[in-house]
Amino acid sequence: MPSPRTTELARHRKERMWMWVQLSPVLAVLTVLFGGALVLAVMQSLGFAPWFGVNTFPDFSYFGALWGDWSFWQSLGLTLYYATVSTVIALILGTLLALALVRTFPSKKLYKYLYKLPLMIPYTVGIALAVIMLGNGGMISRIFAFVGLIGDPSEFPQILKTHYGWGIIAVYVWKQTPFVTLTLYAVLLGVGRETEEAAAILGANKRQIFFQVTLPQILPGIVSSTLIIFAFNIGAFEAPFILGGGFPDTLPVVAWRYFNDADYTLQLQGMATVVSIALIASGILYSYLAFYRRYERRIGRN
Amino acid sequence: MARRQMKSALNTRLSSFQKIYLLLIAGFILGPFIPLIIQSFAFRWAWPDMLPSTWWLEQRDRSILPLAWDYVLSPYSRVWEATLNTVFIGTVVTAICLAICLPAARVLAREKFKGKAAFEFFLSMPLIVPEAAIGISLLMIFIKLGLAGSYLGIIIVHLIPTIPYMIRMLTAVYQGLGRDFEEQAMILGASKWQVMRLVTLPMLLPGVVAGALFTFLVSTNIFLLTFFMGQGQIITLPTLLFSKIAGGTLDASAAGITLVVTIPGIILLLITERFIKEEAFGKGFGN
Repeated sequence: MPSPRTTELARHRKERMWMWVQLSPVLAVLTVLFGGALVLAVMQSLGFAPWFGVNTFPDFSYFGALWGDWSFWQSLGLTLYYATVSTVIALILGTLLALALVRTFPSKKLYKYLYKLPLMIPYTVGIALAVIMLGNGGMISRIFAFVGLIGDPSEFPQILKTHYGWGIIAVYVWKQTPFVTLTLYAVLLGVGRETEEAAAILGANKRQIFFQVTLPQILPGIVSSTLIIFAFNIGAFEAPFILGGGFPDTLPVVAWRYFNDADYTLQLQGMATVVSIALIASGILYSYLAFYRRYERRIGRN
Repeated sequence: MARRQMKSALNTRLSSFQKIYLLLIAGFILGPFIPLIIQSFAFRWAWPDMLPSTWWLEQRDRSILPLAWDYVLSPYSRVWEATLNTVFIGTVVTAICLAICLPAARVLAREKFKGKAAFEFFLSMPLIVPEAAIGISLLMIFIKLGLAGSYLGIIIVHLIPTIPYMIRMLTAVYQGLGRDFEEQAMILGASKWQVMRLVTLPMLLPGVVAGALFTFLVSTNIFLLTFFMGQGQIITLPTLLFSKIAGGTLDASAAGITLVVTIPGIILLLITERFIKEEAFGKGFGN
């Protein structure tokens, strides 16, 4: 007869097993799809494509050709510029909105529906709205003509299809401000108002309360929401494709064009582009997280 | 002075800046829909008119429905086909996602184990790896496997961006549930199956419904992965709209389609607002 200790151990082991059985489906799906995609992308970008009769693995010439081209760096610059500017604007607008939403006001219930609308609909809707508002024949151009600023659609300053990308940024901000707000609103609700009240009683002014009490408390929410939207913006395709200024395109559009090129060897260059996007994005996001962790340690959290 | 300052800091009402800000945000979010709706009912709306010069109403003898809507609702626009595809794909994705995430969320909410933080981080990865990277790499494989341009291929890739949200929402649900009720039922002699059927499921249901609706929503909004994997053979509402506006212009029928694409979002917003656990979004990354 086994001792109580061994039966206890066996029971424990069984429970652990059962736990991993429950975790395994989701783990398997993500590992196969996600890990598989990444591993194959890296291998292809290094010249492994036997189905095209190309197998020169490991071959860095695709990266060499890509990175040696000046237009790649221009594309990278544009991609990062659109992603950063829209993330910063969405963060500011979203924080202000979340701070307003925790207050009490009569139409609060309505606002809690209203602000989530952009979250619920596809980016393509946002693009359509940008076209109807910001295009040269769009609503804002008509308003300019109405007040007598311009006499012809061509006199309207071009907003869409330029490399300043205000159309792209407008779509991202429109769609992502609610996401930042949703995250921060949740954090603010969880934190409560006690610490702010304590600071106010101790004589802090509004500015001090925001920067020294509220902001450090909502920082985890700020970091996680900006991480998500920044990563999304780097990999976004449809807005730069429709509203962008043409060559040089953002990296995802470049990758797509390589991929659809009649010259199939360019597909491997497309893969090198894809891997570059993933590398750059993970590099930036990793340093962002590391920087944030260091800050957390410095202020004595975690 | 100091007292007044303290009072204003303790105030729970809106400041006048916030009032104006809220109005501006409402205008920013909803404003663009006004010309969109007008456009879809216009017969002729040339620059620089602020309103259409000819409305559909004046031209009713030419078409019974507004011209744009006549096209949108006809089979030529493929709106019905795209809607059916969107709903079908969304439903299957939600069902699969629920089935694989429910057990994992239960473990994540209740157990502590080695490597849990890393595991949670891995599950969040799809949120922070650019979609274009995943989409194009998988497309290569799926073309090889013959899955590109099939429903199965699209459903499989939709799992990637939906899993992180489903896991987060369900974990929040399980955390809110606690273990006490299940333990009490067991003490009272209920079997595992009875506990599941009579205690856990009814208590989980509202949260699970919310998670499912949200996953459905995420799936219906996916453009990039559907566009890549659909290969133009399977269209959903976002890809249909993309093909209408890819040229960078928006005619009356495109305005109509844009409104149709917006409708599922509005319906789901009205249903889910009460259920959505905002806590699921407040969760940080790897902390």
